[in-house]
Amino acid sequence: MFGQIKMVITVLLIAGIAGAGMYVMKLRSDNAILKANQSKLESAITEQNKVLEQQKADFTAILESNKKLNVLIGTFKKDLEELDKRFTKKNRDIGKLAIDRTEAIERIINKGGKNAARCIELASGAKHTEAELKATLKSEINPECPQLANPNYVEYQ
Amino acid sequence: MNKIIIIALMILMTGCSFGEKRIKIFSVEEPRQKLNYPMPTALQLEELKWIIITSENAQEVFKKLEEAGIDPVLFGITDKDYQVLARNFAQIRQKLQETNNLLEEYKKYYEDTGNSE
Repeated sequence: MFGQIKMVITVLLIAGIAGAGMYVMKLRSDNAILKANQSKLESAITEQNKVLEQQKADFTAILESNKKLNVLIGTFKKDLEELDKRFTKKNRDIGKLAIDRTEAIERIINKGGKNAARCIELASGAKHTEAELKATLKSEINPECPQLANPNYVEYQ
Repeated sequence: MNKIIIIALMILMTGCSFGEKRIKIFSVEEPRQKLNYPMPTALQLEELKWIIITSENAQEVFKKLEEAGIDPVLFGITDKDYQVLARNFAQIRQKLQETNNLLEEYKKYYEDTGNSE
């Protein structure tokens, strides 16, 4: 009888120790998993932050680009208005002027044509000449497209 | 004896599960090749000469053309059509400028910031 009780206690003791050992092992394993998870989460947060920064930079670049294109389109409208003004300013009639001062108007038309052709070259990606870049006076600029041809020219009223 | 056989069988059956290398499948992201087209070549336009012809100078103009060995013929437009032509050319130039600018902006966005897909 006593022997049986002793055996049962021994078995229980061994089972308890084994259980405790296994529990510690499980805790260790859980701890390792949690550490790995923590590390993964931290790296994920870093990645997310990088993505957010990139998105922010992209957004700024898009806004800047849009602004630039809107400014450009604004200058187009102004250019066309300026062109119309040149033909009609103060009730000007280019036809009558050409009859009265044929040679002078021919010179002006040819100069204007040359300037307009240069504007097309520049719009297609041609490089500016030194003179075009240095032009700051009204007498030095290409009046057909000053915003495009003479980036350093500031229009004065 | 039976127990020994059972244990031996168990070891035999589980023996292969140790030390076997597992296949790992991983993917490496290969960035898309850049298109890298050069920007379009700039235009080089030829110069042309406008001649204004009125009822008064017509004969003189044709005479000058003949003297210069040029066929005495002119392709004419009225002063109003000249204005339209000037406006049309201005619009073509603006469209060209807009398209070139867009191209540059796209290039800058996708090639400078590494946004290419």
